Amino acid sequence: MRRAWGWPAAFLVLAGVTTACQEELTAPAVCPQLCPGGNARVFDTVLTPLPDADSSFSGYVTRHRAGSMLVSNGLPAAEARAVYRFGPRIDSIEVRDTTRAYTVDSVLLTLTLIRRDTLLDGLKFYLYRIDPATVDSNATFASITAQFLPAAIIDSIAVPDTLNSGLIRTTLRGPDLAKVALPVEGDGVLAIGVAMATPVGSGARLGALLAQSAATFISHVTVDVPDTGSVRNQTLTAQTAFNTYVLETPQTIDPDLLTVGGEPSSRALLRFDLPPPIEDSATIVRATLELIPAAPVIGLPTDPPLLEAKSLFADLGAKSPVVTTDTRFIVSDTISVGTADTVRLDVTPIVQLWQAVDERPEAVFLSLLPEAASFSRPVFGSTRSPTPGPARLRVTYLKQFPFETP
Amino acid sequence: MRRLLLLGLLLLLAPATVVAQASQFGVRGLGVPGRPLSTRAAGSSGAFAMFDAESGLNPATLGGMSAMTATFNATESFRSVENPAGSESLRDTRFPYMSFGGPARGTPFAIGVSYSTYTNRDFSNATLDTLELRDVLIPVFDTLSSRGGMSDLRIAGSFRPGERSVLGASFHVLTGTNRMEQHRTFTDEQYLPVRQSTELSFAGLGVSVGAVHQLGRSLWVAAMARSDGGASVERDSAPVGDIDLPYSLGLGLRWKAGARLDLAGHGIFRTWAGANSDLLALGGAGADNTVEFAFGGEFVSDPRRPNRTPIRFGAHYATLPFLLPPGLQPTEFAASLGSGVRFAQDRGSVDLAVGYLTRSTGDFEERGFTLSFGVAVRP
Repeated sequence: MRRAWGWPAAFLVLAGVTTACQEELTAPAVCPQLCPGGNARVFDTVLTPLPDADSSFSGYVTRHRAGSMLVSNGLPAAEARAVYRFGPRIDSIEVRDTTRAYTVDSVLLTLTLIRRDTLLDGLKFYLYRIDPATVDSNATFASITAQFLPAAIIDSIAVPDTLNSGLIRTTLRGPDLAKVALPVEGDGVLAIGVAMATPVGSGARLGALLAQSAATFISHVTVDVPDTGSVRNQTLTAQTAFNTYVLETPQTIDPDLLTVGGEPSSRALLRFDLPPPIEDSATIVRATLELIPAAPVIGLPTDPPLLEAKSLFADLGAKSPVVTTDTRFIVSDTISVGTADTVRLDVTPIVQLWQAVDERPEAVFLSLLPEAASFSRPVFGSTRSPTPGPARLRVTYLKQFPFETP
Repeated sequence: MRRLLLLGLLLLLAPATVVAQASQFGVRGLGVPGRPLSTRAAGSSGAFAMFDAESGLNPATLGGMSAMTATFNATESFRSVENPAGSESLRDTRFPYMSFGGPARGTPFAIGVSYSTYTNRDFSNATLDTLELRDVLIPVFDTLSSRGGMSDLRIAGSFRPGERSVLGASFHVLTGTNRMEQHRTFTDEQYLPVRQSTELSFAGLGVSVGAVHQLGRSLWVAAMARSDGGASVERDSAPVGDIDLPYSLGLGLRWKAGARLDLAGHGIFRTWAGANSDLLALGGAGADNTVEFAFGGEFVSDPRRPNRTPIRFGAHYATLPFLLPPGLQPTEFAASLGSGVRFAQDRGSVDLAVGYLTRSTGDFEERGFTLSFGVAVRP
């Protein structure tokens, strides 16, 4: 019996072990003998936007709704000052159903440094007290800087050279409190302007309301009550109610060029028309949007902006709805500051989407990040500008592989 | 019996597994033709295929079945491939043949069905190239892969008009798909990899007839003729054309040289050249007629128990139909050894075969070993 089943058992073991081996079928091949159908050919073509269908639109994000506030000193890109208006600080505190006066012991003013020139030492911010009534969306460089008088200086904050971002603060006590004193009666409002000083021209970005990183105005007070402890010593915090920044040179848009960024922010819409052979059957392996700057891109070299391209849901001109959540169809890349080199942006997923979904407009919307909060405002050539020339969409694709039949 | 029928039906419903050995000589045309051999016949390199009841070459051999039998065969191949691009060691596992059939009790008839590889087109070819893209030279890697081929579903019957003769006929359904994929990757990752695919499907019908006749006390002769008509080809469900499939004519001889030694051989001629014009018209490589010769024997140590571990041996030579370099027809040579055993009162059997195979044409060569395993059940 044992002998009778030995053979089948050995067979099953051997068959199981052998047939369980992993398959390896890939071998080197030489063409054309072992390449039925031939080789896949790669094509490269350059498309330009439809004539007069590439435009810039302005007014998307205004400076007071920007994600950060600009401050600069001698920066060629822009001369900027930031201003913050805090909410009212109450003039009395209610303790045990009785409204009581208080005495300010000290004041803490904080700013958030978002970005600075990390290669530059000796950065110092100057805080000026300015008229709250002048701090609104109509504030101008002239109206704000006219108040930056020596007598209006609240304090200066020397930023440690090792601090690239984070909170910076100044505390006022004693006689200095007079610089931020508010009316005794009525809820007083403090507004400050921020300028900066550096050994050479530079700029920085400070926190803003939109990013919940705006300046704060904190008062440590002693309430006029006989008690001691926490009831007597209190803190009053006034958050920023409004912030903006002002630029020395107003920005204008050349309609013959494509402008992105600036304030209020500009965006550019570029429309293309994929040739039918590509749209119908090609496999796109790379698509690059090439933009030729009309002039070197200026800005803060250590704070380069991002150029972002988004796919559109529908082409409604300036108000075209764009993709906001599907990050596959939002591409971005950094723009180098200080050069006039062609800016290249890989838009392969967006062009592939044009192929896949007929309803999607063959267009991209360009914007600059951080929007309305960058010193850069690149300007590119359009189909209306022979110099420097229009944008280009360089598409590399394969046609359907010519599989041999059979 | 019912379980056996169910097993046979399940085996026939698994066409995806029914493929034969992959080869670089299956890249062009329809692929490498399969051989409908049981492992028992494979042990002698197919020399006994014209007389083997468990093989699918000659429908008349069904008359040799003593009981309803189901067979299942697997092949593991270890190959070394060489061509001007380099060499590589490959291996694959395939299930090239299965059958089910037996005599109709009380009648001179026997019936059977089998499933075998008609042509096999499994391969993955890798090539390296350099392209100039955007004024930069970029190396690219291409892989062209194919899986599938054509399968042969045979429904056969035999009739024994006398003690010494058996006649047979079969009907063949030729069908299959060939899934091809081209994959390209760029060394520069800014270029996305590309994967393109297509599916070829084939359909055709064939018929065959065969006979086995005992000439003397120890001499048998067998003959078969087969017409496979043509195969209609569709690409991604769209008709693209027809390909003529070959006529096959075969003749076999078996001589029982003694109580311990049985010898057999056969030759088969196939008119694959008929497909030449169709393949060229479809943009493929050409085809040429093929011949196949096999010779071998079976030695038994105990003539009273011929099914206990006989020694099978044999060799075969064949030409392959589809050309790689123009004008040079590939050839194939194989030598085999095998054995097997029956157990449980002959209700079950297992067979093993090992073969050494070479294929070549011009600078293209392939050599390696194949291990075949077969199991048969006779309830």
